[in-house]
Order: sequence, then structure tokens, then C-alpha cells
Amino acid sequence: MDEVIKIIGIGLISLIIIIVVKQYKPEFAIYVSIIVGVLILYIIMDKLRGIINLLKTISSKSGINNQFLELLLKITGIAFLAEFAINLCKDSGEGAIASKIEMGSKVIIVSMSIPIISSLLEVILKLI
Amino acid sequence: MDVDLLFKIAAIGILVAVLHQVLCRAGREEQAMMTTLAGVVIVLTLVIKEISALFNTVRTLFNI
Repeated sequence: MDEVIKIIGIGLISLIIIIVVKQYKPEFAIYVSIIVGVLILYIIMDKLRGIINLLKTISSKSGINNQFLELLLKITGIAFLAEFAINLCKDSGEGAIASKIEMGSKVIIVSMSIPIISSLLEVILKLI
Repeated sequence: MDVDLLFKIAAIGILVAVLHQVLCRAGREEQAMMTTLAGVVIVLTLVIKEISALFNTVRTLFNI
């Protein structure tokens, strides 16, 4: 429960700081927003670690082969970081860069998920 | 690695802004530009250190 309060507190404090700093030096506002993003992601990192360990134990018990779960975790990691950069670029008004990052991360995700698609096709072909 | 980082950056920003104004009034525009650049570089190194730390933790977490 206290993480939520910490996150909200950091968010509001940084909002005030950004408004104050933006009048004098607009470029420092971007630095403050980057640092706040990193801080909040750090706060939720250990919770995330617990979730991922739970997923791993469940998948290893239930016998699903581990390769797909590893790939799923990689894809979520990429989406996690890409979303961080995309929203940052959008905040600072650079929509073009944000869409480039978005497109790049989508291409990488699709290229990583090719093994899954191919194994899915094999399963389907076996059924027919 | 906590909220004090936030306040440090805000402090540097305001300090650089004030120094810039003072130096401009005193007629030394080049020094004002130098202090602004110095402030930007300091904050940039700090921010890049934090971002690389974040990327490393996410990489180890999702073992990308």
C-alpha cells in the first residue's frame, strides 16, 4: 500500500518541480520527467520480479515448454522499455520520434515471435 | 537513488537559471552560456547513469 502512496507523492512533487523549472529553463523539465519515470519504474521493479518468478514456477510445473514463456517475457520487456521512451518523446512534443520508436519496437517484437508462429503452424498442420 | 535525485536536478536547474540571469546582467554572456552548458552536462550525465541502470535491471529481469 505504501508503494502507491510513494508513487503518487513522487508524481505530484515532480509535477510541481517541472512547473517551476519550466519557466526558467524548459530543457530541465524533460530531465525531471525522465528521472521520475525511472524512479517509479524502480519502485515497481521488485513487485514485477515477484510476478515473473510466479509465472516461471507455474509454467515449469504445468509442463508448458519454457521457450515460449521466455519469449513472452522478452516481448513484454521490450514493450515495457519502448513504451517508456515513446511516452517520453510524446510528452516533449516529438510525435515523429515516438512513432519511429513504436514502429521499430513492433518490428522487433514480430521478428522475435516468428518461432512461435512457425510452431503454431506446425501444430495446425499436424491436426489436419 | 531516491527522491533526493529529483530535488538535486531541480536545484541544479534553478541554480543554472539564476546564474545565467546574473551573468547576463553583468554583461558576461559567454560565461552565462558556459554555466548553462555545464549545468546541462552535469544533469545529463546523472540522467544517463540512471537510465542505463534502469535498462540493465529490465534486461536482467526479463533476460532479454
